[in-house]
Amino acid sequence: MAWSRKSAMFASLSVAMYLLGLVLRNQQLVTVAVVLLSFLTWAALRTAHGDVASSGRRVEEAVMDEGVELQSIVAMRKTSTSRVFEDGEIDVTLRIQNRSGMAKVLELRDRVPEVMRIKKGANYVLMEIGPKRETEISYTIETPLRGFYTIGPVCIRVQDELGLFHNEKEVQLYDDFLVFPKMEDIKDAMIKSRVPKIFTGAVNIRNPGEGSNFYNLREYLPGDPMRKINWKATARQDGKMMVNEFERDAVSDVIILVDSRSVSETGPVSRNSLVYSTRAAASLTQHFLSRRDSVGLVVYGDEIVSVDRDTGKKQLYVILTKLAGAMAKGNTPLKIVTTRIMPHIHRGSPIIILSPLEDDPTIVDAVRDLRARNFEVTILSPSSLEFEFDARRIDRTGYEVLKTERDILMTELRGLGAYVMDWEPDMLLFTALAGARGF
Amino acid sequence: MAEQGKGPVDTSHLYDGKVVRSSAPSRKKAAGTMKADSGIPDDAVPEVAIPNWIDAIFGGPVLVNREFVSPNKMVLTLQMGAIGSLLVLGFLTFMLTPVSGTAWFALTNIAGIGFLGLWVHLLMILIGVVSGFWGVWQRDQRAMLLSYVALILVTIRFAGSKVEFGLSFLPENEVIQKLLLILYAVFLVVYMEISSAVIRFSMLDTSIRTGEVYVMNVKSITDRYNRALGYTPAVAAVVATLTLFINFFVPLFVRILDPIAANRLEESVELTSVYGVALGTILVFIVIAAMFAINLPLRIQQYLERQA
Repeated sequence: MAWSRKSAMFASLSVAMYLLGLVLRNQQLVTVAVVLLSFLTWAALRTAHGDVASSGRRVEEAVMDEGVELQSIVAMRKTSTSRVFEDGEIDVTLRIQNRSGMAKVLELRDRVPEVMRIKKGANYVLMEIGPKRETEISYTIETPLRGFYTIGPVCIRVQDELGLFHNEKEVQLYDDFLVFPKMEDIKDAMIKSRVPKIFTGAVNIRNPGEGSNFYNLREYLPGDPMRKINWKATARQDGKMMVNEFERDAVSDVIILVDSRSVSETGPVSRNSLVYSTRAAASLTQHFLSRRDSVGLVVYGDEIVSVDRDTGKKQLYVILTKLAGAMAKGNTPLKIVTTRIMPHIHRGSPIIILSPLEDDPTIVDAVRDLRARNFEVTILSPSSLEFEFDARRIDRTGYEVLKTERDILMTELRGLGAYVMDWEPDMLLFTALAGARGF
Repeated sequence: MAEQGKGPVDTSHLYDGKVVRSSAPSRKKAAGTMKADSGIPDDAVPEVAIPNWIDAIFGGPVLVNREFVSPNKMVLTLQMGAIGSLLVLGFLTFMLTPVSGTAWFALTNIAGIGFLGLWVHLLMILIGVVSGFWGVWQRDQRAMLLSYVALILVTIRFAGSKVEFGLSFLPENEVIQKLLLILYAVFLVVYMEISSAVIRFSMLDTSIRTGEVYVMNVKSITDRYNRALGYTPAVAAVVATLTLFINFFVPLFVRILDPIAANRLEESVELTSVYGVALGTILVFIVIAAMFAINLPLRIQQYLERQA
């Protein structure tokens, strides 16, 4: 049983008055103190009747259909979905049963993650629930930010009518859900590899090889199959054997690097570099996978988390899940990441780096190495300076100084042959990509 | 190369070898090197609420710092109730609390302006009533707190064990005197409870109307409060009566064993004085402590559940 501030004040006042009354031999003070104490004691006795004495169990351990029981109060929860995109909605229905034969006044709060907004209904309910009765609470939550979240536990409070004491326990009922970063349509901002892979695929790369589309004519070389000889062209070339060359069908390997170091969360919770980077990575992934390209993801922060290249819808959800769980932690330099992944990527594959380009002295070296190995590097840099300046966290002078340094760094990276775009907060991803590609 | 201070600055050194600093400097470092008057906006420094010692004792802010919506019917009823109990309490305080024995009476007497002591006394009662009225009506906790303090302060006085009243025509009968004291104490507690309930229900009403909380069956919940407001002070009054009339109840039991000792106890100055009340309090609260020790409330609860 917990004391409220009111009861604490009443108790201290009554004790003080009682002692003072004895010292001053003042019956009036002692009488007031005794009445106050009696008042408190009776309220405490009434509150102790509140029937919440157990801590419950996690839902996995309980039988799902029966819900989770806290003595005679049972809670069951249903959610409309367990996977949703940012700015999506989840409908939650909480069923509360009173299995005892007595009515109870309950204050009930279904705990939702702090970043979520209650759009409809209420997750905080004060109610009287009759004996052997059940009631249902429905509410809708909005999911503004990506991540792994849990709804629960259900906090139940039984309070005396005068608000002096309360018993508070939690029904350990949890429902997990996943919020994926939202995606933007970027189908026109194309990034394509010039180097093919051995697998046939959807994206035609303008290099000769074993494909179906005609590419070129060339002279016959020993070893060319007879069926490739173009007899008409041979006849026109005065006896020089000519063979058809075909465009090689191939799948691009697109590697997306997402910077999730702690510096990437500089700025407001919903407007920072990491939020923008994950949304961009999700959009790019969807775009390339829809073209049947192969996409791989590397998220680096305190550790390097990678998703191996693959194609298909399953890969999209694998990547989205990793992006949803990206946390701003650590300070792994880009150089370490590129050194580790370079041996595993096909030379010439496009690499897209999503980073605020801050607090990492190895960026230039890393990009130089990538360019030296003929990787096509595109850097999209959500500017945390803009986020902070918009949120009035840095002043104009500081902003100008830092902005100049950032511009110098970007110029240097462009000089290395990378496509670099300073992605300002109000800019659409498509526009930023187009800028980065120089379209 | 351009001369220093003239024309464009040569930045070629930035691109030579390993001396290139390739990232923007840390924001923390920049903040650390800025002067105090460099215009860092106030919101760049997070606000940290450090509780004062009173908040620390009570586990949070004592006064509610929140704007309420206009009062609903329940709050208005409570306001009326609080004002009604305040008026009765003010009158009881005026009747039962003499100026003699108070600190201001002593001081003004020493200064030779004894009449001023009475005025101070009346002024304090008036402050208690007026600030209470204002606090309840405006739902201002500071004014309520001032009212509580003023009404309690006027009762603090050096007094003999004998009960004294502010008005001379009040009865000298001990039973009636004690009952009047209990009535006064009950009204003080009821006033404190209802006035704090005005704030509590205003908060609840505001939360309901702003959609923070949903209340199912508001009427049954307010009915429960009204019932509790009826019987809780009554129970407190009964317990206080048992405590204050210990000089009647103890001899009653002793009489079974020894009538002479019982008579002596009835006449005992100690038992009729404030120390008798203290003894009564100890006896009554020992019984209550025993009830808690054996977890009687839970057992009653379990019994009622089984019966239901």
